[in-house]
Amino acid sequence: MPQNEVVQDLGLDEYKYHFITEDEPVFRSGRGLNEKVVREISAQKDEPQWMLDFRLKALEIYNSKPMPTWGGDLSNLENVLEDIFFYVRPQDKMEHSWDDVPPNIKETFERLGIPEAEQKVLAGVGAQYESEMVYHSLKKEWDDKGVIFDSIEDGLKNHPELFREYFGTVIPAADNKFSAMNAAVWSGGSFVYIPKGVELDTPLQAYFRVNQEQMGQFERTLIIAEEGSKAHYIEGCTAPVYSTESFHSGVIEIVVKPGAHFRYTTIQNWSNNMYNLVTQRAMVHENATMEWLDGNLGSKLTMKYPSCYLMGEGAHGSVLSIAYSGDGQHQDTGGKVVHAAPNTTSQIVSKSISKGTGRSTYRGLCQVHEGATNAKSNVECDALLINETSRTDTYPYIEIEEKKSNIGHEATVSKVGDEQLFYLMSRGMSEEEAMALIVRGFIEPIAKLLPLEYAVELNRLIELEMEGSVG
Amino acid sequence: MEGVTDALNADAVQSLASGAPEWLQNRRLDAWATYERTPMPSTRLEEWRYTDLSRLLELDSLEPLPWSKRTFDRASAPASLDAALEADREASGRVVELDGSVAHVELDADLAEKGVRLLSLRDAVEEIPEVLERRLATEALPATDGKFQALNAALWQDGIVLVVPRGVRMEDPIRVTRHVSRTGQAIFSRVLIVAEPGSQVSFVDEIVSEDLEEQTLFSSAVEIFAEDAAQVQYVSLQRMGRGAFHLAQQRTIAGKDSTLDTLNVTMGASISRLDLNARLMGPGANSDMLGLCFGDGDQHFDHNTSQDHDAPHTHSDLLYKGALDDRARSVFRGIIRVAKGSQQTDAYQTNRNLLLSEHARADSLPNLEIEADDVRCSHGATVGQLDQDHLFYLMSRGLSRPQAERLVVIGFLGEVLQRLPLGGVVEKVSRGIEEKLNG
Repeated sequence: MPQNEVVQDLGLDEYKYHFITEDEPVFRSGRGLNEKVVREISAQKDEPQWMLDFRLKALEIYNSKPMPTWGGDLSNLENVLEDIFFYVRPQDKMEHSWDDVPPNIKETFERLGIPEAEQKVLAGVGAQYESEMVYHSLKKEWDDKGVIFDSIEDGLKNHPELFREYFGTVIPAADNKFSAMNAAVWSGGSFVYIPKGVELDTPLQAYFRVNQEQMGQFERTLIIAEEGSKAHYIEGCTAPVYSTESFHSGVIEIVVKPGAHFRYTTIQNWSNNMYNLVTQRAMVHENATMEWLDGNLGSKLTMKYPSCYLMGEGAHGSVLSIAYSGDGQHQDTGGKVVHAAPNTTSQIVSKSISKGTGRSTYRGLCQVHEGATNAKSNVECDALLINETSRTDTYPYIEIEEKKSNIGHEATVSKVGDEQLFYLMSRGMSEEEAMALIVRGFIEPIAKLLPLEYAVELNRLIELEMEGSVG
Repeated sequence: MEGVTDALNADAVQSLASGAPEWLQNRRLDAWATYERTPMPSTRLEEWRYTDLSRLLELDSLEPLPWSKRTFDRASAPASLDAALEADREASGRVVELDGSVAHVELDADLAEKGVRLLSLRDAVEEIPEVLERRLATEALPATDGKFQALNAALWQDGIVLVVPRGVRMEDPIRVTRHVSRTGQAIFSRVLIVAEPGSQVSFVDEIVSEDLEEQTLFSSAVEIFAEDAAQVQYVSLQRMGRGAFHLAQQRTIAGKDSTLDTLNVTMGASISRLDLNARLMGPGANSDMLGLCFGDGDQHFDHNTSQDHDAPHTHSDLLYKGALDDRARSVFRGIIRVAKGSQQTDAYQTNRNLLLSEHARADSLPNLEIEADDVRCSHGATVGQLDQDHLFYLMSRGLSRPQAERLVVIGFLGEVLQRLPLGGVVEKVSRGIEEKLNG
């Protein structure tokens, strides 16, 4: 296939976040996961007894559950988990002013462009370095309206009742092996509360960075969007490339109250030695809307299926997912929608690009319970294969118990067609321009929903890789 | 040693094996050893996720039915068998099987002269052992494929073998009618079809029974080979009565430039499980895979299909449709696998389900695993109720709601039949649908 040889690289492979910051953490747990580590983490955070009990119970659950045998290749994971540090505390306390962040950490985030973005386009920023949030700030106008945007630890300290009412209710520790692990050793992440009727017009952003070799990051985020509120939360993730494997396992719980509208965007660009096993779920109440926008570009293996439980009449959930798998990468992603109330609607759109020996898997669930009348759901998966060695899989589960429902699933797999390339080249484009245009067109339905700077970044990366690829 | 019972055990295999040629004895005993060491499939396995055998299969109460010489007398045929034969049309050959033993075989004299062989599996062991030694439970459905493949390979009592020599084309189908009357039994039967290069054949495999008081297992293992440029159509029509557990394993192997199409119609039995694996082994091979089911009462249908593209320039297209009334449920799990190097492959898969009652349930898992880049693959699945616009249109033309609903259901399922409009089959299936709608 000439065009496959011509287009050696589609992009997104070149990892520009590989830089290591020299620093000494103020505290580091022992390697591996055991009760001592869990007690240490809880003590470091000066937690109430109920949280320690919760963690210890979760550890028991974790130990009792077998490793998943589906999804990606987890055969080496147990070895990795024996060697990593489950908790690394980079500094003594979290800062609310950028100037107070220690210089080496500050430099890291400056290289990632975070302070600049905060000034320009964001309502609030949180930054996590290793196991702890090192910086959190929220613009004053939102603070005045009662919005809470804080580290999860401060959420527990400063809003104990609100916290306890919701924590662990959307994703119980026993949900799966990795949610149990997270429940035992969670550290960092955001606590977000949007009061009734408040609409944030710019996004909140959290940035996650793993700097140390062989560490595990286990952030936990809890978001409550009160009735009629509206907000958008973005997370971004990077790490340097080490020869050993690292591990990231987050848990994101979101409660979307009646009439509220919440969008959660992830742009994951972990280094390709990272296992990224994340559980994300939203409870969506009456007439509320939840949108997951999930971009998976990095990591060695990602297993992540953002889900919407449509609990109230008229609730709407959507998952828009884009995955890029380069050499050696496996993106096992998708989405879950559970219709548990009448007149609920949902949509899953998944686009994946597999290049080199990359493998992209769509795995999804659409479930309609009896009594969820007039449920409507539509799932669309498109996969683009660039090379002979690339692989793609589609595993949807459709479980329908309600007659009055309308459920559809469609998927296509294709390569960039000779006819498409020929047409564009006959109009004067070079082969690389044509290829870039086709790939951009393929991801466009999702890219256009990204905040501008991410959309530009995505397109730029693709173009960058097209340049000079005709030899 | 899960699944070894007072009746289904090594002694039963020994007694079937004794007196057989050595290769066959060994094959049965090896299959039994495989059965013994293979765990009973549980819902922890993806392929059995929605069919819980520990709850649905009463293995302990099943007795394997010994082979016995049966004779067929049309005059005293039971009602369901009589009706099935009555509705048949012209055929190149006919077979009647009673409780798993072949009782009657006839073949057009011209075709017999041209070398076509149509015979019972027991006779084939005597007459064409070289074909069986090479093909029976080896390449297509070996015992090592799974628990029930092994059980059938160890305990089959009879079956049907068809060999169509090079270049022979058969105008009319071979029609097989099977009848089950013995309740509480386990019947193991096999079909082997070998279509040599350039030959052409259609094969209609119908099974009927009255309602059966106790659970009765009918296990069918079907192996079909379409050699280079052969054309084969295989149709399975399952209209067993309640009480039956129909367990069908089918594997089709399509050679270079061959066409190997299948149609599986599932209307009867309390529980029906189909495993169909279509393998496209030669460039230019083509398989259409059609399925239609209509469930009511508390029928449980589970269809597990796979399309394996192991050569470039191969084409497969699957369409399975189901209508479900009352508390019936259906499962469709299908997978398209495109192996590395199988470039220029087209593979499609569509599953559509119609829920006609509040309590019916449909689960659909259309999967893709693609390891070649120059392919066109797609799949689609839908679950829904009767199209309200269609109903409205028909009712505005003066039809009552029940009449309009019937038409829409018939139209929905009829699409499948149009894709493989074999004489006799269309009428039988249409009548079956009508009966269900009236029921």
